[in-house]
Amino acid sequence: MAEAATGAVRVERVRGRSVLTRCFARYPLKLIAPSKVGPSSCNAVWLYALTYGGGIVSVSPEDLPPLSILSVLARCAVAGYSRLGVGEGCCSVTCSWCRARARPCRGTPYRARSASATGARRRSPRRPRPRYAGCLMKLDSALPAYTYTMAVLCGLVMLTRVCRMVYKAVGSKCSEQLLEARVGEDALLAVIPDPVTCFSTARYHQKQVFQVSANSNLVVVDWFTSGRYESGEKWDFSFYKSVNHIFLGDQPLFIDSTLLEQGSNYSIAERMHEYNVIAMIVLLGPKLRHIQDKMQDEVKKLMSGQLRPPTSGGSLYTMRSKPPQRPQRPPLVASCSPFGRTGTGMVARVAAVSTELAYSFLRHHLAALEMFLGASPYAAS
Amino acid sequence: MESGSPVSKKSRLFHSEDCEMEEVPSNAAGVNPSLHWTQWQILDSILPTGGFAHSYGLEAAMQSRMVNNQEDLKSFVIQVLDNTGSLLLPFVYCASKSPDAAEWVKLDQLLEATLTNEVARKASTSQGSALLRVAASVFTEIQVLQDLRRAFLGSKSVSFHHAPIFGLICGLVGFDSETAERAYMFVTMRDVFSAATRLNLIGPLAASVLQHQVAPDAERMMQKWRDRDVSEASQTAPLLDALQGCHAYMFSRLFCS
Repeated sequence: MAEAATGAVRVERVRGRSVLTRCFARYPLKLIAPSKVGPSSCNAVWLYALTYGGGIVSVSPEDLPPLSILSVLARCAVAGYSRLGVGEGCCSVTCSWCRARARPCRGTPYRARSASATGARRRSPRRPRPRYAGCLMKLDSALPAYTYTMAVLCGLVMLTRVCRMVYKAVGSKCSEQLLEARVGEDALLAVIPDPVTCFSTARYHQKQVFQVSANSNLVVVDWFTSGRYESGEKWDFSFYKSVNHIFLGDQPLFIDSTLLEQGSNYSIAERMHEYNVIAMIVLLGPKLRHIQDKMQDEVKKLMSGQLRPPTSGGSLYTMRSKPPQRPQRPPLVASCSPFGRTGTGMVARVAAVSTELAYSFLRHHLAALEMFLGASPYAAS
Repeated sequence: MESGSPVSKKSRLFHSEDCEMEEVPSNAAGVNPSLHWTQWQILDSILPTGGFAHSYGLEAAMQSRMVNNQEDLKSFVIQVLDNTGSLLLPFVYCASKSPDAAEWVKLDQLLEATLTNEVARKASTSQGSALLRVAASVFTEIQVLQDLRRAFLGSKSVSFHHAPIFGLICGLVGFDSETAERAYMFVTMRDVFSAATRLNLIGPLAASVLQHQVAPDAERMMQKWRDRDVSEASQTAPLLDALQGCHAYMFSRLFCS
């Protein structure tokens, strides 16, 4: 679908520094590479990806309203290190927004608000502010300790604010987003977005494909929320699919695909219980080994305290004698698994009751990335 | 009912001398009764494949109070079946469709990358290698199984995951792919209920009642996810996946996964 890339980025090592050598973006995507994200000693490029229009919609770019609104759609971080020379150890990222592949909202959820909704006024689509919540693209970092390396980092954060703009829905196709990245030898790429938030009836499909080499380093955070759950819109979207593939040469290293769709026996909301956020964190590569180990230890400690056999609570007899009371579930469930034949990668899966909990989890566990990126992810949000 | 439809299809094929007959290996095609014996043996819980060492995440779900009673169990089973259908049935299907070593190696390697949850991955490899061992000893008439076992035993490049092995064996003994997929769903369901009984979540009789109740849902899910390519495999229960990963963190536990 999205053959023509909407954006392309390349970061290479030039005289020991990570340099953004290519940065192309086309409406409705905009890329911003601020130069002062971290200390100047830090050799990382940060890149923010924004889109005009405030979300992914079902109409094609030509039909979008004039460029009056800029909102941040994506943040991406790519880091590349190369041992020697220029040109190696580069990272390149292309992303494309499949033109407005659709947003169904039948009877636009927002139409109703003009009438009554008091609290809704605050969220009126009239004057949306630029939202920088999610966009941060960091290019590279060279660690002081590894003088020969250079890194390019670019992050892409995606927020789907589909319904906010009350665009007309076209058909019932999916909004799609595609990101392809190649991470060179000794390079580091960090994709550290804010969560995708699918509004009621939204249909969303994203695919991220990473090509890595044996010594590449990769951080991917992929997460989504139940919607605007504080106003009662919980797991109300129609379709969500997120695909993350990591290939080492032509060998599949990590193939992940998560699909949530209404229409099974149990609705998504029933399946998710009180949890509102699902997150996945991938850490791959030799430079991230200590972060992986630390995270595994801490998660194990955190979770083993929460898990215990029900004191005969599961048996029929206690159920009968006592009124059924909902036992407390852990507010955050997390688990880590190594992957790859040699265990070079680690993936953590997290389910959390609130976005704040998930943010603090990410902030805490990814803080050590500051040595590579120059600033720690999710720090200011 | 489960074994009914494939049989009638087979006999129809047999009578009409349809040229599509070739899809069914000759050792099984003519003798429907013997296919039944094989089929039932593959599904029988007495076949020592070690399935009962696994709770498919049920134990972790109980210890985190996600599953507390029979209603929760029903929802859990349906979610596990849905997830099995969308994630693993494509592997069963592709392996049963073309049961040869080259295709199987490809599927096995892909599934190794797809099962990103270590607990589920280990459960899959231990059940898969047990199943291959048993099948190679039991179905001695199938030379491919012996060869496969000899060629790849101790090999680092394959992991013997359960779904492709199951599909492969079903394909080799002459099952059509639909039966193979239904059988895989059945085996999964059987093992979860068995685990639930031993976790004292439900009594044996009530478990059988529930199993019968869930069967139509399982059939619907099988129909929904059947005959898909492995490129479409995806997981549909991210919460249960995160939970199952916690299995190794539990201080006391009954099951391997």
